[in-house]
Amino acid sequence: MRSNNLRALLPVLFLGTAFAGVLPKIDLPKDSPVSVIASDYGESSETARGGAMLLDLHAALTLRNSSQRRIRGITLLVTAQEVTPGGKGSVTVTSLDVAPFETFPLHIDLRLLRPLQAAAGAPVQIGLDGVLFDDLSFYGPDKLSSRHTLTLSEWEARRDRKYFKSLVAEGGQERLRREILESMTHSLDRPSLDVQMVRGGRATNFEPEKQVQFAFLRLPDSPIDPMGGMARIAGNEARGPRLEVKNRSDRPIRYIEIGWILEDHGGRQFLAGSVPAELNLAPGQKSQILENATLKFPTRGGTPLAIEGMTGFVSSVEFADGTLWIPSRADLGTPQLQRVMAPSDEEQRLIQIYRKKGLPALIAELNKF
Amino acid sequence: MKHPNQVRLALLAGGDLGFLDRWRVSRHVSGCSACAGEIQALKTAKNQVREITAVLPENLNWNQLAGEMTANIRLGLAAGEAIARFDKPALGRSRHLGWNAAMVMVCATAIFVVAFWINTPRAQMDHLLSALGRVRVGRIGTLVQNPAANPDVMLEASSSSLDLNQNGRTLSLMHPHSDAVTVSVSMQGSVGVRYVDADTGQVTTNKVYDAEQ
Repeated sequence: MRSNNLRALLPVLFLGTAFAGVLPKIDLPKDSPVSVIASDYGESSETARGGAMLLDLHAALTLRNSSQRRIRGITLLVTAQEVTPGGKGSVTVTSLDVAPFETFPLHIDLRLLRPLQAAAGAPVQIGLDGVLFDDLSFYGPDKLSSRHTLTLSEWEARRDRKYFKSLVAEGGQERLRREILESMTHSLDRPSLDVQMVRGGRATNFEPEKQVQFAFLRLPDSPIDPMGGMARIAGNEARGPRLEVKNRSDRPIRYIEIGWILEDHGGRQFLAGSVPAELNLAPGQKSQILENATLKFPTRGGTPLAIEGMTGFVSSVEFADGTLWIPSRADLGTPQLQRVMAPSDEEQRLIQIYRKKGLPALIAELNKF
Repeated sequence: MKHPNQVRLALLAGGDLGFLDRWRVSRHVSGCSACAGEIQALKTAKNQVREITAVLPENLNWNQLAGEMTANIRLGLAAGEAIARFDKPALGRSRHLGWNAAMVMVCATAIFVVAFWINTPRAQMDHLLSALGRVRVGRIGTLVQNPAANPDVMLEASSSSLDLNQNGRTLSLMHPHSDAVTVSVSMQGSVGVRYVDADTGQVTTNKVYDAEQ
């Protein structure tokens, strides 16, 4: 670990002592399956702005898979205690396929606004939260629920690769090309909004608040049956979602996520977020999910958003034995989900390959798995 | 010469006279034959009574006697208790008053709980119960609480960055301007942005969190 840290901090010698104090401290566990073999902070800078110091950090890390298994995903934890006590960030890379002893890049671009009189020493610490391998085993402290996030992404990746391969088998390369182009079109049509979130706070809107019932999009194979729910809506704010769900499978469930679609007065729909819940739900058992958070969709010019309706759907379920349920490609093909759901990490990666290298490269990539 | 009276002579004969009186009366008796004879007569009578009482009466039933004694003792104890109860009537009354006070407190608490339940809006009640549900006892004497939300922290996802703002201090994770940027929000306290890194081609997800997950 020390040698890794020393290597990572070598560029300090070349950047000079003025900037050396603001470089991040990279701290990986002794038995970490990844090691830092190079780090480049080339375009990083620190400038005074009023009574504060602005740190622009651009880290290009080169990591090596020092384990014997292929790495599918990794999450690095970024903390800046003197700026945001208790708050933190993370950088996750999914849809990887890193063989043992191969290297792979990882970029972290962050900006830190901190008081001038802040304590000396590294203002940013970078640590490892988790690594997922191809056999779905996991390494790491998992402080940010990375195991679930990375495993969910890997399940989606396997589902999507299988689906795209089946398209090639059924309709040839042209069928795959049509599907990829449709996916790209949906991405462009999908509304994208800025969002602010505060937990435990009160509504800041002057508009009267009303309680709106959830409508539910019921997916046929979902192990969870949403029974009912409501949230409070005021103008462009939505808060305090409350949902009731029932386990209709024959296996106990420990984690669920309900997708939350909002609709404005013009009938435009967008995915606002997800309501996750860790629970212990036996077969046939019901449970309530409550969250005391407020979402606000600020308007950057144009017509202010006015939320009128809400729809919920089960977006993922984790059973007590660690296996997952995710919506099938057929579920995602329903018009309402197709309008709002973003493609999976893997689908987005495959689209990028198609954009940059064309269809043959995409098919070659699919054939790797 | 004045003779001691009959009582003093009887006390001297029984050895019950005080020291000074005994000296005086003894001095008189030693010189008075009439009084000495009286003393002798009293002593003889005393010895006769002692002899008579030393012999037990015939046909004495010891079991009956023991039963009568036990009954008398129990009767005495019961009478003593009755008298003690009669002397302390306040004790019984205060015990009764204690139960009444407890009943009044229970009724008042029940009325308060019902009034609170009726008057508190359903949503606030649910959140109160939810908050109480998040508090759990780890071990005896130690209260373990899930990390509380900090209302001073605002998480924001915009087209260019992901920000964690707290009292004018900001931690931002930057991402490229792109059509393929996807914003995700978890109501448990995180906001994320997913994009494809143009240089590496990797699918990267940045997230900021308002507390320990």
